[in-house]
Amino acid sequence: MNCLFATACFLFASIIFSAEEKFDYARDVRPVLEQHCFKCHGPEKQKSDVRFDTLSTDFLKDRPAAETWHDALNALQLGEMPPDDEPELSAKDRAALTGWIEHQIATRRAAQKSTGGEVILRRLNRVEYENTMSDLLGIRADYAVNLPPDTPSEDGFKNNGAALSMSPMQLEYYLQAARDGLSRAIVTGPAPEKLKVTATESATDKGKGNYTNRLGQGAKFILKLEDFPYEGDFIVRIKARAELVDGADFPRMKATFGFRADTQTPFAELGEVDVKSAEPEVFEFRGRMEQLPLQSRTQSKYPGQLVWITNEWDDGKKRPISRQVETIEEKKNPKNGKITKKKVKKTEYIDYPDVPKIVIESVEYEGLVFESWPPRHHAQILIPSEKRETGELVYAEEVVANFMRRAYRRPVEDAEVKSMLRLYSRIRPTVDSFEEAIRETLALVLVSPDFLYLVEPEPGGKKGTETPLTDFEFASRLSYFLWSTMPDERLFDLASTGELRKPKVLAAEVDRMLEDERSQQFVEQFSHQWLDLGSVGRVAVNPEYYEGWDNAIKPHMQAETREFFEEILQNELSALNFLDSDFAMLNAPLARHYGIENGPRGMEFERVDLPADSIRGGLLTQASVLLGHSTGEDSHPILRAVWIRERLLDDPPAPPPPNAPELDSENPDFAKLSVRQQLEAHREEAACNDCHRGIDPWGIALENFDAIGNWRVEVRRKNGRKFVKLPAETETELPDGTVISGVDELKQYLLEKRKDQFAKAFVSRLTGYALGRTIEFEDEEAIETLTDDFKQQDYRIQSLIQAITSHKIFQSK
Amino acid sequence: MNKPWHLDRRTFLRGTAGVSLSLPFLECMGATEKTTVAASKPVRLCAVYFPYGAATPRGKDADLNWSWMPQGEGADFQLGESLKSLEPFRDDITFLKGLSHLNGRKMGGHDTADIWLTGAQFKGGQFRNSVSIDQLAAQQFGDATRYSSLTMSTDGGVGEPTRSSTLSFGRNGQPIPAHNRPRLIFDRLFGVNPESAEKQRQELVNSGSMLDLLLDHSKSVRKNLGKQDQQKFDEYLESVRAIEKRVDRSQRWLDIPKPEVDASGLHLDSDDNTPEEYIQTMYDLIFLAFQTDSTRVATYQIGNMNGATSVAGKFPQLLDFGGTLHNLAHGAGKPGGMEKLGKWEKYLAEKLTGFLERLRSTEEGDGGHLLDSTMVLYGSSNSNTHNNTNYPLMLAGGKKLGLKHGQLVNYGADTPLTNLHVTMLNRLGVPSDGFVDSTGELTEIMS
Repeated sequence: MNCLFATACFLFASIIFSAEEKFDYARDVRPVLEQHCFKCHGPEKQKSDVRFDTLSTDFLKDRPAAETWHDALNALQLGEMPPDDEPELSAKDRAALTGWIEHQIATRRAAQKSTGGEVILRRLNRVEYENTMSDLLGIRADYAVNLPPDTPSEDGFKNNGAALSMSPMQLEYYLQAARDGLSRAIVTGPAPEKLKVTATESATDKGKGNYTNRLGQGAKFILKLEDFPYEGDFIVRIKARAELVDGADFPRMKATFGFRADTQTPFAELGEVDVKSAEPEVFEFRGRMEQLPLQSRTQSKYPGQLVWITNEWDDGKKRPISRQVETIEEKKNPKNGKITKKKVKKTEYIDYPDVPKIVIESVEYEGLVFESWPPRHHAQILIPSEKRETGELVYAEEVVANFMRRAYRRPVEDAEVKSMLRLYSRIRPTVDSFEEAIRETLALVLVSPDFLYLVEPEPGGKKGTETPLTDFEFASRLSYFLWSTMPDERLFDLASTGELRKPKVLAAEVDRMLEDERSQQFVEQFSHQWLDLGSVGRVAVNPEYYEGWDNAIKPHMQAETREFFEEILQNELSALNFLDSDFAMLNAPLARHYGIENGPRGMEFERVDLPADSIRGGLLTQASVLLGHSTGEDSHPILRAVWIRERLLDDPPAPPPPNAPELDSENPDFAKLSVRQQLEAHREEAACNDCHRGIDPWGIALENFDAIGNWRVEVRRKNGRKFVKLPAETETELPDGTVISGVDELKQYLLEKRKDQFAKAFVSRLTGYALGRTIEFEDEEAIETLTDDFKQQDYRIQSLIQAITSHKIFQSK
Repeated sequence: MNKPWHLDRRTFLRGTAGVSLSLPFLECMGATEKTTVAASKPVRLCAVYFPYGAATPRGKDADLNWSWMPQGEGADFQLGESLKSLEPFRDDITFLKGLSHLNGRKMGGHDTADIWLTGAQFKGGQFRNSVSIDQLAAQQFGDATRYSSLTMSTDGGVGEPTRSSTLSFGRNGQPIPAHNRPRLIFDRLFGVNPESAEKQRQELVNSGSMLDLLLDHSKSVRKNLGKQDQQKFDEYLESVRAIEKRVDRSQRWLDIPKPEVDASGLHLDSDDNTPEEYIQTMYDLIFLAFQTDSTRVATYQIGNMNGATSVAGKFPQLLDFGGTLHNLAHGAGKPGGMEKLGKWEKYLAEKLTGFLERLRSTEEGDGGHLLDSTMVLYGSSNSNTHNNTNYPLMLAGGKKLGLKHGQLVNYGADTPLTNLHVTMLNRLGVPSDGFVDSTGELTEIMS
């Protein structure tokens, strides 16, 4: 009973809007203080100047009192209090005291951080900036490359206005990116000549190599461009077919672009694709010349740009590419007619019948590609206009006004345009061309706050849920939510006619936006940030533990979870599939990693139905989550547990207190204990037990998964030089007293007992992402309403998105 | 090498109108009073931080060998296994035992990197920091060099409050984003702009005009914002003002070519997946920046204390030290754990030693070497994991600046670390009566 009581506080300590407060000061806390503390810290004595009987319990208003309580909590957790010569607290009393203080501190902290339900002025984050610049300038490029990483909010989102900051260095790089981007988007001079180069046979590169049309492992087809442009769009078209092998993966074609600089070959990837058909198909790869490594104009030792085409098919087996063959060559001496025989070694490339091939029929390079001249990205900025002939300044005004409307994502006033034109007028006399002066003026637009931030001015100074967004602000909020970029012309039009917010129009627009391929951005950004998929990149896997480990699988692991999210979103499946599902999204390497037979044959992800007894299904069995929260050698139950509580249940445990002891034991046999036993030993310390009883069990249940997400019944651990084996122990008692064992029972428990908590957590996270702010106490009502709706709509994410976007919380400042 | 100099930008622009000037003329232009001192004698500050504290074995077991803090006191200190590589530098270093930020004591166990160089008391939910000592130094003599300071960390950016990934904080406590890509740092310091000087000047002049207009415009934007938005917006306004100054500075430096540096030994494309090359290159870049007098102030945070998100966490794993930074620190109490952590610390110390070695073997104008005029602070803001007292700290170099070395001084638990900060600032020529909660200077380390 005590145990149940004690654990309650860990669950609720950090939930800001826990409806019921578990501990009441007068009822649960004060009697404990009276019994154990007042003797030294009460009316008679005030050791260390601490007195509890008169200490204020108002954590919000009385900061010094709050700090004294905090000190008391630390002293309790460190076992400093009560002192050794005084009786220990009972578990129940301890729980009441620490639980109450922690709850008060969490409440105070939340209140301090609260923005009162307001969205704080949001800067475009790196991704949003890059997408917006790409749309605005009409050229996709890595505009954010030099910008520092964005600071995530506490709940892991990178679009939270309060967390995103600005600095001089950043502004400097914005200016640089704007100038560079505009220089590319605005072209000068006549249309460049179009170049088309086709090859049906491979060129060769320096040295030996298997240059051929029939690509197995290690072979190459090379297209050589003697002449090439330095800037602009191009296409590489490859006509190819596959020689498939039954039961083997599809061959994987990769196109690479670069050049030979003596011993080095600077290169960049154009793309990869599965070749699935025995009939020839044409594959297109597009790019921009200036984004690739290019040879300088000066005479090079190996002049020409190269397109390499290779077959990346790999089943993990090592096969020598070639062998040396001895042949006997006869040579006739022209003078005396004598024939000499000579042994000659030749390289022969081996044809493995079990390796599927790609047969290249032709490769074509076309550059530059443009449908008109000047190209669209130019005409989008230097718009065609009669004013062009009228005079530079008049035309400049039109150009700037048009650009500002798109960059500011709203109509602009004359005065605003005039103010920007001041720069144009100042610069124009000092530079040679109109274009140069325009470029600088538009660069100024691109470092203006109206572009870099989602500005939602409120002249009256009032913000919050009572003030609706303007139609244009609303259009932006919508497009940054679902596309991570600026609104398109259609959204602009609907905003300017005031139609956008009509419920039917809005619903249709949200549907359209989710169908549009730009919604990939939402899938990518939200799934990555909500589930912390970045964790995969932070863990280094120790190959000593996992033989044959290859880091190349990490991106596939992240992709699995993203694809899983997309499948659930786009096919209107229940979000409860995140907790458990009867399907998985897999590609060939991942299916192999999981040991799933007859899975997909290519790199593309496919839906795979799981048998009823499968160990896979739901997020908890995905390698991204399991590896990302491991040590790279073994599981890390605490990290996994924290992930579950944070990401799935929105109930993050409190951070470790100052001076918390290490997971330390004088016991030399510590290494021989199972993780569960080690954690049990850890929890023998009352200070640790306070929090870890509410954490560890969630992770223990996943002990059947090793660091890289594979099933195990034994845990391998290195002890000295040898590996020792311990049984994987998965039985555990959850904080509410339920005893479970293993992942299936954990999933079942979550679905039965924590379904509502998960639903609310998901709604809360998605709403926070949609708004670009942290969900707070003030939002409780909105979150409840949305959660009820979500449940009624069978947990479908699209319905939830519809509900959020039509809710007042999303439509006001 | 560049001579620092100072001139009025407006005079310069008016007088030259696009005519490119030769270097000697520029050198004739008088420096202002403020920079004269700095100009004649370059003094430098470098602070390098590692997370989670260090091995602090207790008692008298075999683990003592792996104590980061040397045994003994005064001149008789004995370096343990992990810092052995510093032995040849005995006379150039001082260990400071017992110091910590009093303001950090109540903070969470992993929360204190933010205040290592600031000593701030984080207040309220927004955790407002205050200025760091490197930025005070940068304000004082940053004008003398092309860049006022160089801020680096493995994670880059600013991180989040209490999990900072920068050590540097500006005048108002605003975090200064750290650079984490060697290539970008190198390009800033030494890269040659392919545009002609004329074109660059034109751009700078334009930038100046742009920023003027931007400031006007931004003020009118600010008026219409809600109160909380205004606070956020002030970061932007401050940034505009700051880069206005940078534009001025760049114009002043335009005609002085960037120093030519041989990049062949540098691993400019190294990143967090190649820690050996990466850490080495970061030190190399600081050294080159100092050697060429491109800046006189540098900070480098080897890892932040966000065990869950720091990309530096896996460094020791990748280098085969058997665990992440966080694991090694937390596992120090396990049998054999002290040695594991100690070996990693040894590795880090060797990198530092290499850096000190380069400073010491580089001569400076008047017969001395760079190390004597460069203060290098090395340490952390926990003693060991979670403990916000008794930081591992070592101060190296700066003998010519009035520091006394070759000793271990034990200050006990009550001396604020800010006393060290004040001592350093005053020796660097940044007059300081006090810094945050300091109570005086550390006279034991003053010569």
